[in-house]
Amino acid sequence: MVLGVQEEESKSTIYVPDIAKIRRIKQISSTEKVFRIVLDDEEKQNNFKFKPGQFVELTIFGLGEAPFSIVSNPNNHEFFELCIRNVGSVSGALHRMEEDAKVGIRGPFGNGYFPYDKMKNHNVLLIAGGLGLAPLMSLIKYILNYREDYKEIMIVYGAVNPESILFKNDIQYWSNRKDISICISVDNPDDKWTGEIGVCTKLIPRVNFPPEDTYAVVCGPPVMYKYVVYELEKKKFKPENIYLSLERRMECGVGKCNHCHIGNKLACVDGPVFSLWEINNLKEAI
Amino acid sequence: MLYKVLDKGVYRDFVKALISEYEFIGPKKKDRSVHDFVPIKDISELDTNYIRTTIPAAKKILFPPNERLVTYELGKTIEVKPVVESSEKILFGINAWDINGMNFLDEFFTTDFIDENYVAKRKNLIVIGMDSQPTETNFSLSIGAEYAKDGFDIYLTELKDKYFIRIATARGNEILEKYTKVNDAIAEDFKEYNKYMDNYRMKFKMSVDIKSFYDNFELIYGNQEFWKRVAKNCYSCGSCNLVCPTCFCFNVRDDIELNLKDGNKTREWDSCMIPEYGLVAGGHNFRPDKENRLKQRYRCRLKTFIDKFGKYACVGCGRCIEACLAKINIAEDINSVKKEVSV
Repeated sequence: MVLGVQEEESKSTIYVPDIAKIRRIKQISSTEKVFRIVLDDEEKQNNFKFKPGQFVELTIFGLGEAPFSIVSNPNNHEFFELCIRNVGSVSGALHRMEEDAKVGIRGPFGNGYFPYDKMKNHNVLLIAGGLGLAPLMSLIKYILNYREDYKEIMIVYGAVNPESILFKNDIQYWSNRKDISICISVDNPDDKWTGEIGVCTKLIPRVNFPPEDTYAVVCGPPVMYKYVVYELEKKKFKPENIYLSLERRMECGVGKCNHCHIGNKLACVDGPVFSLWEINNLKEAI
Repeated sequence: MLYKVLDKGVYRDFVKALISEYEFIGPKKKDRSVHDFVPIKDISELDTNYIRTTIPAAKKILFPPNERLVTYELGKTIEVKPVVESSEKILFGINAWDINGMNFLDEFFTTDFIDENYVAKRKNLIVIGMDSQPTETNFSLSIGAEYAKDGFDIYLTELKDKYFIRIATARGNEILEKYTKVNDAIAEDFKEYNKYMDNYRMKFKMSVDIKSFYDNFELIYGNQEFWKRVAKNCYSCGSCNLVCPTCFCFNVRDDIELNLKDGNKTREWDSCMIPEYGLVAGGHNFRPDKENRLKQRYRCRLKTFIDKFGKYACVGCGRCIEACLAKINIAEDINSVKKEVSV
C-alpha cells in the first residue's frame, strides 16, 4: 500500500514548521498573554484558514513545541492569536519573549471543531472554566459575525477570582450588546465583586434554553467536565448536542506520536472537539 | 503474485550476489538464543535459522529509535529544512509476522497524514521474507499473522530440495531474473508447499481467543479490580513497547548546538507505559495509574486499529511476553478477559 503513495516534489514534511513573527503581545492577566502571530510567508498567511476549536503547534527553536488553541476570529486572515498561560517550558519561554521574535508554526490542526455550521438556527450555550474561555473565543467571534444565523446566545464563565478573568475587553463589549448574555461566577470574590460566587456549574440550572433547540459547548480544566455534563444531562440536553474540547499531551499534532490517544481516538486528528456522544463511547475521556 | 521455485543448489550464489550488490541487512547470531538483524558483508555471517530477535528488524530500519526530522539554522532569518534519510537496502530473512508488523506500520504512517520520513525508507526497502520457527510465546496463528500475504518483494519458503518463491513486486521479479535462475512452480511444488504450511502452522502452540476480545473488552473495561490484578507487577518500564514490531509512539526533542545557531528536531521512541506519557504542562496527568496505562495499551494493540483500518496492532510475536520483567502476558490476558466475562 505504502509503495503506491504518490511521490511529490515536496520541499517539506509534516514536521517542518513555518516561520512566523510575534507581531504583538498583550498581557491580559497575571499569568496569561495573548500573542498575535503572522506567518512570514505572505501567501501562507493569507491561506491560513482555520475553524473554531482548531489548534496550532508552536515551536520555540532550541526548546521545543507545544499545541495551543487559536483564539482569534476565523474570518481574520491577516494574523491569528493564541492565549497562553505561563505554565510549562514552551509557554514559559514564550512569556519571556518580546514582540518581533520568531517562532515556528505548524497547523492549523484538528478535524473536530466547534460545529458552528450545525448550530445555525439554534440557541448556543457556551460554558467556560478558567483558561477554557480561550478556545471558545474564536467560536464566539465567528458567531457574532453572523449573529442573525443563530438564535439566543449565552456565555457562562467561571474564574478563580475577579483578577483572573480573561478577555475583559471582549466581555465588556458583549455585556453592552443586547443580543448575547453573559454570566460570570468567581470562586474567590474580592470586596468589589458584585456578581455570582462559586463554580460556574451552579449557573447551569438557571439556563432556560429549550434543550432540544440548543447546542452546548464546553471548555475548561479536566475536573470541570463531569460536573457540567451532569448538569446539562439533568436539563435533558442530548449528548449529540453537547460539544467538549479536550486537552491532551501532543508531540506531533498529526496523528503519529499517539500521546493524545483517548480510547480509540486521537485528540489531534479526531478532536480536539468531540460531541458528548463520542466521548461517552470513549470512556476515559472525561 | 508469481509462483516460482529456486533450486537449493544455486541459493548460496544468489544470496552472495545480493550481498555484494546491495546494502544487505540480515539475521546474525548474537549469542546462544538471540539473533539480530545487522548489515551483512559475507554470507558466513548470515544465519536464517533463527528463532528469536529482540528488536524487530523492519521497525528498526523504517522507524529508527532516534531520527532527525528537521534541521534549522538561526540567524537574522531562520532556515528550516526537512531531513528525509533513505537509501536502498535489502532486508533479508524477515519472517511472516514481522512483515505483517511492517504492513501495520505502512498503514499507520500513511493514514490521516503521510509521514514522509517513514515512506521514503519503506519505498527503498527490498523485502525478502523467509519463515522462522515460532517461540513458545508466539500466538501469531490466532491473530492471523503467521502468513504474509503482501508487504514483501520476494518470499522464500524452504522445501526439501528447493525454495518455493512468491513474488509480489516487479522489483522482486527483476532481482530474481538478474541474479539467479528460477522456474515456474508446478502442481507438484504447490503440493509440497501445502504440506509444509500445514506442518508449519502446527508449530504455533500458544492460542488466544482474539475474536471475543473486541466486545468483551468493553465490559471488562470498568472492572478496575481485574486491571489492578493484571497490572499488579508492572514496573512501567516500557520494555514491551521497545520490542514491539508495531509500537510507534514517539517524543520530539528540540536540540541546539553549542554555537546556539544550528539545531534540529529529533524523534525518539517513547513508551505508553511510562508514567510521564500523559503528563501535560501544569502537572495534570491524564493516565497516572499503571493499570489504566496497561489497559489502554491493550486497547491500542487489539482494538483501536480494527476500528481505524481493520488491522490488529499486534502480530502475536510474543516478544513483549518474553521481555516483560513482571511476567505480564498479553496472550494469557486476552484469554482471561473472556474467562472473567464468562464466569
